Amino acid sequence: MTALARRRRSRWLNLGSFAALLLLWFAVTAPIGEKPLVPPLFLPSPMSVWQAFMTLMKNGYQGKTLAYHLGISLFRFGLGFGLTVLVAVPVGLWMGMNESVKAVLDPPIEITRPMPKLALLPLLIIWFGIGEVAKVVIIILALFPILSISAMQAVRGVGRRKIQAALALGASRATIFRRVIFPASLPGIFTSIRVSIGIGVTMLVGAEMIATTAGIAYMAMSASDFLLTNVVIVGALIMAILGYALDLVARAIENRVVHWGGKEG
Amino acid sequence: MQAAEPGAAAGARVKARFEAVSKRFGSGADAVQALEPITLDLAENAFVCLVGPSGCGKSTLLNIMAGFETATTGRALMDGVPVAGPDPKRGVVFQQGALFTWMSVLDNVAFGPLAIGKSKAEAARIAAHHVELVGLTSFAKRFPYELSGGMQQRVGIARALANDPEILLMDEPFAALDAQTRELLQEEIKRIWQETRKTVLWITHSIEEALFLATDIVVMSARPGRIKARFAPRFAASNDPAVVASVEFGRMKAEIFGLLRDEAIAAQSQEAVR
Repeated sequence: MTALARRRRSRWLNLGSFAALLLLWFAVTAPIGEKPLVPPLFLPSPMSVWQAFMTLMKNGYQGKTLAYHLGISLFRFGLGFGLTVLVAVPVGLWMGMNESVKAVLDPPIEITRPMPKLALLPLLIIWFGIGEVAKVVIIILALFPILSISAMQAVRGVGRRKIQAALALGASRATIFRRVIFPASLPGIFTSIRVSIGIGVTMLVGAEMIATTAGIAYMAMSASDFLLTNVVIVGALIMAILGYALDLVARAIENRVVHWGGKEG
Repeated sequence: MQAAEPGAAAGARVKARFEAVSKRFGSGADAVQALEPITLDLAENAFVCLVGPSGCGKSTLLNIMAGFETATTGRALMDGVPVAGPDPKRGVVFQQGALFTWMSVLDNVAFGPLAIGKSKAEAARIAAHHVELVGLTSFAKRFPYELSGGMQQRVGIARALANDPEILLMDEPFAALDAQTRELLQEEIKRIWQETRKTVLWITHSIEEALFLATDIVVMSARPGRIKARFAPRFAASNDPAVVASVEFGRMKAEIFGLLRDEAIAAQSQEAVR
C-alpha cells in the first residue's frame, strides 16, 4: 500500500470513528418507543443541543449575548496567555544563556511547577477579588513554568557545532543569540506554546466556574444549576472548539515561522 | 621524529604551529590523557591531513587550533601569535549539523561577512561568489534541509571560505557522504585549494582521501595520541583523478594502512577495557 493510500485509509477511519460516535449519541437519545434510552436530563439529543445553541445565539444567556460570554472568555485567556508568552519566553531564554540567572530563577519555578495552580484560586480571590485579575493571574501562574522552562531547555539544546561555527565566523555574542540561538530555539518554544494553549483553556474553565457572572464556562456552570443540560453541553462544545481552533492557529503560525521544524541540515 | 618536517616544502614559512600541545580530560582517577605533547608545524599553503584511529585526539587537536578548546599544556600558534579563541582568520568546516537550518544557502554563506562587519550588499556579493564557487548558484534560495548531504557540505565549505580565512580547519567534512559524492567533492576541494592556496588542516579516516589531497600526512597513534609517522605524498598537485591507480599511491597507501591497522587494534582493546 502506498503512503498516499495509507493516509487516505486513515482519513476514512477517522471519519468513520467520528460518525459512529455521533450516531451513538443519536441512538441513545432518540425516543425509541416513547422514552429514549438515556433521559434528556443526563444527555439531551444532538437536535436539542443545536436548538439550545440557536436560542442562545438569538436571546443570549442571562441578559448577555453569547458573543459577550465568548468574548470575555477569550479576553481572559488572551490576556493571561499573551502576557505569559511575552514575559516567560524571554526569561527562559535568559536562563538558558546565563548560568547565574538560571541558578536564581530555577528554584522558585521548579518548586511551584508541580503544584496544581487551581488550588491557589481561593487565595487569589482573597488577594485580587472576584474580578478579572484573579482569573488572568491563575492562567499566568499555570503557564509561566511551562513556557520559561521549555525556552530554557530549547536554548540549552542548540547544537554546539552551530554555535562553534558562528564563533569561528567571527560572530559576537549578541549576533550569536539573535541569529543562531534564538531561531534554533523556536521549534521548542512553539511546542510549549501549543501545550500551553490546552492548559490555559483548562485554567480558564476552572477560574470561570468560581465567583463569576460571565464567560462560557460560567454559562455552563450556572446552566447546570437549572438542569439545562443542553446549554451545559453547548458550553462544553464551545470550549472544545475554542481549544481546537487556538491550536490550529498556533500550528499555522508555527508552520510559517519554523518551516525547518526538526529537520537537520 | 616530531621535529622532522618531511612534508613542509624546503624553506616554506610556518603558518601555524602546535607547540608541545597536550590534552587531558577530567581529573583525578577518571582523567583521560587524550593527547601526549605534540609539536607540529603547518607550513604556509600546506594541506595537512591528520589520520588516526577513533579517539586518538585528532579532533581535539583541531579544536585547539580553532580556539574551541584549550590545551592542557603547550599552545597553538598562528603566525607566531597564541590562539586565544575562535577567530574568523581560521575557518572551520564540520562533518554535519553545523549549518544554520533556518537560513537559506545564501544567508548561511553571508553570515560570516556580516558578522565581521561587511555591509549587507557586500556580504551578499561575497556570498553569491562563494555559492558559485561550490556550484550551488541555482540552490542559493533553498534551505539546508532541502539539499543532499553533499550539497550541505558544499554550503559549509562556501560559508567557511566566505570570510577569506588564512587557515581552513576541516573535521572529517566528507565522512557522512556516500563514496561517489565524496570523490567528486574531493576533486572539488583540491581545485579550490589549488586556486586559493589556503593552509589546510584536514581530519579524515580515509587513507585514500589523505593521499589524494594532502601535501603532508600525519599518522597518529591510538590514545593517548602521538605522532607516529609522517608522509609527503605528491598527488595534491595533480589534477588527474587517476593518480589513485599509480604504483606510488598504492605503495604509500599500503604502508599507512599497516601503521593504522596496528593503532586501530590498540584503540579497540582500549575500548574493551573501558
